[in-house]
Amino acid sequence: MTLLAPAFLLGLLAIGVPVWLHRLSSTNPDRQVFSSVMFLEPGEPRRVLAKKLQYLLLLALRIGVLVLLALAFAGPALLGAVQNLVTETAGLHVIVMDQSASMGHGERWQRAEAAADSVLGELGTGDVAQLVAAGRIVEVVVEPTLDRDAIRRGVATLEPGPFSLDYGQLMRSVDSLVRGAELPVTVHVVTDAQRSALPARFADLAPRTALELMLHDVSAAPESNLSVDGLAWSPVSGDFVASVRSYADEAVERTLTLRLNGAAAGQRSIAVPPGESVQAPFESLELEAGGNRVTAELTPGDDLGVDDTRYLVVKRPEPRPVLLVGADGRGGASPFFASALGTLAAQDYRVEPVTAAGLADRILEDYVFIVVTDAGVLADEDAALLRGYVESGGAMLMALARGSAGLAEAPVTGHAFEPFSDFGRREGEFLVVGTLDRSHPALGLMDDVRRARFYRHVAVEPRAGDRVLMRLDEGGPLLIEHTLGAGRVMVYGSSLDREWNDLPVQPVFVPLIAQLSAYLAGDLQVSFEARLGSALSARSMGFAGAQVFAPGGDMALGIAGAGAGDDVLVDRIGFYEVVGAGRTELVAVNVDPTESDPAAMAAAELTRWQELSPGAQQAIAADSGIMEVPPTELWPWILALLAAAVLAESWIGNRHLKVRRGIAA
Amino acid sequence: MAAVAASAPGTVRDLLKPEVLASLSNLELVARAAVHGFLNGLHRSPLFGFSQEFAEYRAYAEGDDPRFVDWNVYARTGRTYIKRYLGETNTRLVILLDASASMGYGSGPVTKLHYARMLAATLAYLASRQHDAVGLIVFDEQVREHRPPSSRIGKLSGVLHAIDRAEPGVGTDLRVPFETFRQFEKGRGLVVVISDFYCVPEAMIKGVQPLAYQGQDVVLFQLLDPQELKPELRESAMMEDMETGESLEVSPIFMRSRYRERIREHIEELENCAAGAGIDHELVNIADSLEGALRNYLLFRQVRRR
Repeated sequence: MTLLAPAFLLGLLAIGVPVWLHRLSSTNPDRQVFSSVMFLEPGEPRRVLAKKLQYLLLLALRIGVLVLLALAFAGPALLGAVQNLVTETAGLHVIVMDQSASMGHGERWQRAEAAADSVLGELGTGDVAQLVAAGRIVEVVVEPTLDRDAIRRGVATLEPGPFSLDYGQLMRSVDSLVRGAELPVTVHVVTDAQRSALPARFADLAPRTALELMLHDVSAAPESNLSVDGLAWSPVSGDFVASVRSYADEAVERTLTLRLNGAAAGQRSIAVPPGESVQAPFESLELEAGGNRVTAELTPGDDLGVDDTRYLVVKRPEPRPVLLVGADGRGGASPFFASALGTLAAQDYRVEPVTAAGLADRILEDYVFIVVTDAGVLADEDAALLRGYVESGGAMLMALARGSAGLAEAPVTGHAFEPFSDFGRREGEFLVVGTLDRSHPALGLMDDVRRARFYRHVAVEPRAGDRVLMRLDEGGPLLIEHTLGAGRVMVYGSSLDREWNDLPVQPVFVPLIAQLSAYLAGDLQVSFEARLGSALSARSMGFAGAQVFAPGGDMALGIAGAGAGDDVLVDRIGFYEVVGAGRTELVAVNVDPTESDPAAMAAAELTRWQELSPGAQQAIAADSGIMEVPPTELWPWILALLAAAVLAESWIGNRHLKVRRGIAA
Repeated sequence: MAAVAASAPGTVRDLLKPEVLASLSNLELVARAAVHGFLNGLHRSPLFGFSQEFAEYRAYAEGDDPRFVDWNVYARTGRTYIKRYLGETNTRLVILLDASASMGYGSGPVTKLHYARMLAATLAYLASRQHDAVGLIVFDEQVREHRPPSSRIGKLSGVLHAIDRAEPGVGTDLRVPFETFRQFEKGRGLVVVISDFYCVPEAMIKGVQPLAYQGQDVVLFQLLDPQELKPELRESAMMEDMETGESLEVSPIFMRSRYRERIREHIEELENCAAGAGIDHELVNIADSLEGALRNYLLFRQVRRR
């Protein structure tokens, strides 16, 4: 036995109090003088004896109460004997419970709990068990212990989550968990053996540590499932399209309900052939300003409910003005650029051409961004206006074209540039885009820009802090992002028309303009969908301070946390709401579609997987199995005894008073 | 109205309350206050008409107090006659005051001995006022003070002082004062015994019976505390005898039932024995005022005189 807080034993000194009080009492404080005792009789001996016995019992109980109280605080525990658990069959059994979303299908989880219980039941007396949960991450729930009930209680606290599981990553995590174990390790993976959770290479399932792998398949074929695996909105038509996929062996009929901001906006009956996917369109709906919550829900639900609903956030586009500054009032020599912007229905830009002289008549802050087709047309006062616009947070694309010839430096930004290269004047000479910063959000998947030929360009010298987004193959910068105040300017070293290059007639031109304009307008910085298990950063969404509310309305992050750059772990399915600085952004979170496929691995595959394990290491050190049985805390028993002693003390005390007062019992 | 006046606080009859009298430091003052309050009450009572009754005229002789000369008769006849009253003809009062340890008991502010002192002083003062000779024997196991009866002016002060000096002694032996009385007091008179009478009634009556045969009028004032008559005990207690020091643990049940029966039987036995011997017995609860005891005394005196 050990005492966890021996200082509390000082409380035993309090025993002196009842002893002292009883001693005072025993000197008979009730002694009274009386005229004469000639008419008195002594009390009944039996009653006096009972009183004395009760008195002693009361004293003992009161001392007992104090002792138990001191012991309860001292926290005694029975030391587990140091046992040598090394036997021929002793080992560490790691029970890994698959918590992926697919485990919520039907009665898989109940079978998983039974399988875990069965594993525990088959363990030898000296075997040590450990419980590990494999969900978003692989974590130890119960440390290695001989206490089977602790493992059972741990299993009871687990339940399937919304996350997906990759068996390859699981095996890596298990490797790191059991590495260094001194007992032979057997890993019991209790899973539904979902085929879609297999890694790309089967070899990745092989454990790198010496362990024995036991797979407990809790799937029960045939099992079917229906999932809404896609929901999209067409900015051109305004229609919604939901995709429903069947993992059943027979055709299934369901009702698909589209809800817009919580209200049913459309309903369709769909028949999904076995193993196929069907599209269900919903006509153009009236969207509200700002973010809209859209859900597509299958009714009635099936055994796996987590994928029966798909979430989508749609922002209704609002016409936004873009100022196109050129040599003439029609956008200068940039009809290509203007028409490209006009085709972007999703962004819904309204292009307003203007000459440089007309800049002073415009309120520049009203424009989402400004495009200068030729920097050479800007007078000093025009450049000052534009500079003020950018510094206050505006965005601008400025091309250095023919009109820049007489300039010493680029207006607005002040970049120095070399004289025109006129290689394009000679037949057959041109340059192409050499390097492309594909990490930039505006240039992802824009490799086709290399097809464009550049006959003439202006070699701008980047300044400190500039980001060169495109370089020509001869090394000169073609597109530079320059930060100016709170805004940014993209300096393009060629023309936006066909005069100096043929980019405007390349197929990549419109997507490139769409990406660039979306980037300048700030549209690319907000993602309306987050992956389950990822981190949601309010700061990266442009919020200096924001509150993040999880689906269900719980606050997942306060303002202080958002300001400090804290991220929110996206661990629930539904709509996350980011609120701050007068605006609200919505983020939809959906379950990983791979979890919807209930198909399990074949028995042969499971056997192959198990055979990949090298087997448990048998050689163990002589003292490696010596383990301390965890101490058994006695305070619950002490508290029970204390309660009983207090009750007994009250009862005996009451009876004692009855005897003293001569009340017939 | 009289009853209201009698019970109203602040009246002269309040002086008869033991706690009020106990607050007076001087025993003579106590006696005066008690008698004054008592007589005041009598004037209002239709039952008792107290006054010194006229008995006869006697020719003035030398040595008679000139204050008692009836000057009206002298004016009519030219002779001096003394006006004599019935009350001053025959009475001698001897008070036997028990000052044993048990008399020191009191559950309230007034002990039995305190009460006894006030009662004895009041009786002595009242008797003196009626020109009775007053004597005193203070005793416990033995006679501690003996004052032969005397009606001389100034003797009362000595009696009162002797009463005042009485303090609780040790045990009680009632035969001793009666023996003393028989030895020294030969004339007839009133004998007032003030005690709690914790004794065997028959034995005590045997001791006092010779006095009755001697022609003495004996009245026993038995003083008991309320706690002795109806004790209330909350829990078992160790009771210690004030005289013997003997201790007994008694239970509340016993004190509520059996003890009360015993003390009642004792009082009844004492009363019966006294009645058999022609002796008056008066039980006095020391929580009550002195009025009852004084009434009984006067009634007793009046009856015996006739």
